[in-house]
Amino acid sequence: MRLTVKRCATLLLLLAFAIMLACKPSGTARRRTLLIYTPHGQDMLRDFINRYKQQNPDVDIQFLDMGSREILERLRAERNRPQADLWWGAAHTTFQTATDEDLLSPYKPTWAGQVSGDSRDPQDRWYGTYATPEVIVYNSDAVRAEDAPHDWDDVLDAKWRDHVLIRNPNPSDSMRAIFGAMIWRFYSQTNSPAGGYDWLRRLDANVHEYTADGTLLMQKLARQEGLVSLWNMPDVRLYQEQKHFPVAYMIPRSGTPVITDAIAIVRGAQHEEEARKFYEFVTTPESLIYAARTFYRIPVRTDLDRSQLPAWMNESFTRMPVDWDLLRRDGNDWLKYWDAEIRGRNK
Amino acid sequence: MKPTEKEFDAETREHGGRDAETRRRGDAARRTKIRATPSFSPRLRVSASPRLRVFLLWLVVALVLLYGIIYPNFFVFWAALAPGGEFSPAKFFEVFVERAVWEAAATSVGVSLLTVCLCAMVGVPLAFLFERYEFPARRFFAALAALPLVLPPLVGTVAFIFLCGESGILARATQHVFHLKGAPWTLRGWWAILLFHTYTMYPFFYVLAGAGLRRIDAGLAEAARSLGARGWQVMARVVLPQLTPSLVAAALLTFMTSMASFSAPLLFGGGVRMLTLEIYNARQRGDTQLALTETVILAFISLCSLLFFQRYEGTRKFAAAAMKGATRRRAPVIKGRVRVAATLCAVVFTIILSFPVLTLLLVSFARDGSWTTQTLPPAYTLENFTRILGQEDASSVFINSLLMSGLSALAALVWSFVVTSVVVTKERSVWRRVISFLVLIPWALPGTVVAVAIAESYGRENPLTGSFILVGTFWILPVIYFLRFMPLVVRAVQASLEQMDARLEEAAEGLGANWWRRFLRVRLPLVWPGALAGTLLAFVIALGEYVASVLVFVPRSRPVSIAIASAMRDFNLGTAAAYGVALILIIAISMIVAARLERGAEA
Repeated sequence: MRLTVKRCATLLLLLAFAIMLACKPSGTARRRTLLIYTPHGQDMLRDFINRYKQQNPDVDIQFLDMGSREILERLRAERNRPQADLWWGAAHTTFQTATDEDLLSPYKPTWAGQVSGDSRDPQDRWYGTYATPEVIVYNSDAVRAEDAPHDWDDVLDAKWRDHVLIRNPNPSDSMRAIFGAMIWRFYSQTNSPAGGYDWLRRLDANVHEYTADGTLLMQKLARQEGLVSLWNMPDVRLYQEQKHFPVAYMIPRSGTPVITDAIAIVRGAQHEEEARKFYEFVTTPESLIYAARTFYRIPVRTDLDRSQLPAWMNESFTRMPVDWDLLRRDGNDWLKYWDAEIRGRNK
Repeated sequence: MKPTEKEFDAETREHGGRDAETRRRGDAARRTKIRATPSFSPRLRVSASPRLRVFLLWLVVALVLLYGIIYPNFFVFWAALAPGGEFSPAKFFEVFVERAVWEAAATSVGVSLLTVCLCAMVGVPLAFLFERYEFPARRFFAALAALPLVLPPLVGTVAFIFLCGESGILARATQHVFHLKGAPWTLRGWWAILLFHTYTMYPFFYVLAGAGLRRIDAGLAEAARSLGARGWQVMARVVLPQLTPSLVAAALLTFMTSMASFSAPLLFGGGVRMLTLEIYNARQRGDTQLALTETVILAFISLCSLLFFQRYEGTRKFAAAAMKGATRRRAPVIKGRVRVAATLCAVVFTIILSFPVLTLLLVSFARDGSWTTQTLPPAYTLENFTRILGQEDASSVFINSLLMSGLSALAALVWSFVVTSVVVTKERSVWRRVISFLVLIPWALPGTVVAVAIAESYGRENPLTGSFILVGTFWILPVIYFLRFMPLVVRAVQASLEQMDARLEEAAEGLGANWWRRFLRVRLPLVWPGALAGTLLAFVIALGEYVASVLVFVPRSRPVSIAIASAMRDFNLGTAAAYGVALILIIAISMIVAARLERGAEA
């Protein structure tokens, strides 16, 4: 048996080496650092960090890009020992949930007066950055624009039976907003979600598949596993123009809910000063216009020179008024009902 | 008391109960040994072990279990289920009787039972093929057959979608060949989950049964055959019973993995409600109470299955009776036709099994967005690989993952020997059962829950934990990987030890070897194949771990799975596939290294 002592010694040596390696990073010198949690994606983050570093070369910026709900979960897990400094991006409803759980710290940006009252937290714990309208998406290879659904109720048409793809609404701010808005349409008249549930039942009957995430949704749409879906406008633009996917969108005629994407400083942030600087940097008019042009983000700030923005951003469309507070309060119950009683039960 | 020749014969004829059988075998072996080494006293037992060592072993086990498993899980669960210190069973059962909840529980159990059956049907014959027949490139194909293990679930599911999905290669090809209008099938529902589960989990059976086969003595089968037993009789009465510990361990791991499976139901479950998915949805909605109740149900079912398997295992304990001399290895197959058939079977099967990995390779070279309705990607590029090589943190991502999973796997290996030396002994006590039960708890819990429990318990100053803080440090992920995957190693080592003939160690002790020497020269070499297989499994699975990592990873030590998820979220499926391919290469290399280690040990 040649195993034994020699090999054990090798293993132990390896272990010791590994521990040495592991301990090394913590020994590096302390620099000015900043940790950002964001769902905005690597391309956008790297771009902004590079531009920020041109002005502040001595800052070490780290970012974690995750889904917005994952960020919320992480912040909860780190409640007693916050790691992040800045949270950049997620629907304002998610930020509001975080404020309810006391996860954010107030900060009043220099441009606080330049956003409308519903795009900011009254106690300054979050501020709106981008507006995200929800739209009807379709495969532009397989469906002509004039045949595509023009309004929410058109998606329920029998001709789309088994052709609709829907992203799992539970982890998605966009889908939660759409489902919430659909229920709100009826709730605002009857004070009951029943009418909305019926609408979702009829949608469920048309649904070919509920996909796990936005990426798969777009893949499956491009590959014609389904022809029609509901999603947000900036993402569809990105797919259309940067990824060259055969997709196009239709803004629902009767109006569409618009999510406010927000930014906030994490409570207990270790580098709050740096976080504020970056906060200000990404919300300057230059940065917002840059984001609008490069990453299809529609700015919320009202004092921008709109001629600088891409033309499509200035086209007007109907907003659907939505009671976001009600959505946030009752949305979970609605979604729970949908999950248990509607999803996949109407074939 | 030594039985006389007559008594022995009477007992053999009797076909008595298990006790009689064990006694008979033991005595028979003892007699043989006595003849071989007359100076050896058969009455000697492992008894005079120094108290300090026993105490230290128990202390380590108790500390790890208390701080790693009992404290985080129990108190977090308690705090969540009993907000304000009051637990109301009525409320708990109120949730349980909800249709969606029990439906999910029943579905999970059903899917898992079917998964175990299917995995055994694939994995065990495959292990026999590779262990029993010698053919060209056997080692290569044998390693290839464990390939599904190396597919991180995140990447594996995507590969599956591209291969078997309704717009995948197979579906489009079928459509093309038969001129169909629509997709011939959809990758959704029960069959899709079962297909993916079988594909990813049969290696538990394949690897563990393979390790078991390597340990069993072909001499016994030969003896049975010379006594007139037919092939199937030898299989049913001699080979399979000896394999039982391995098979039970594999079945248990498969069942529990399947219960905790998340990616498959998430990505192609369709309307199938499995508990893990319901927990995820409830968590995402912010319904923590429901999520926790469902988690408790999930853990409860998994642990019940563990108790059941343990019971079963206890009733069928077989020590390899005749470990003297060399155990016979792979029987050379004489009949040419059988050999050709076996070779063909093994090779064809392995090639089919490697399809998803090949798909991944293909996608990693495909230009993102170009592949829509064609059967195969129309445009190829190296861009995906240059992209991951070009980013400065891409290579560090691999080093991080290797380091963290390597550390946790090594720790798990050491721990498995510590814990089994406490658990696997002659006398069975309640404590030993409790320990082997506790050890498996993390495996029965969804990864998110383990991560949350650790983050909650070690994220704040708390005198109970010595104010030891893990959140935000490098060590949190190795600790979580260790906790989540050490059951794999412990199970593997335990199965090997239970198959090992305890009298070998007794013999060594009788010959004057001290504990350390006995451990190194007897126990370790005998258990090594199983231990190595288990450690490798833990290492490889930790490399691709995602659900727990995403909750607690620190930016300085981002694991690969996070990079893959980022790429996928940025719609760069090609980049994600490129990461996946690189990861698989790394895993393949480590498997080759492990195989060499094992061969070295066998030599």
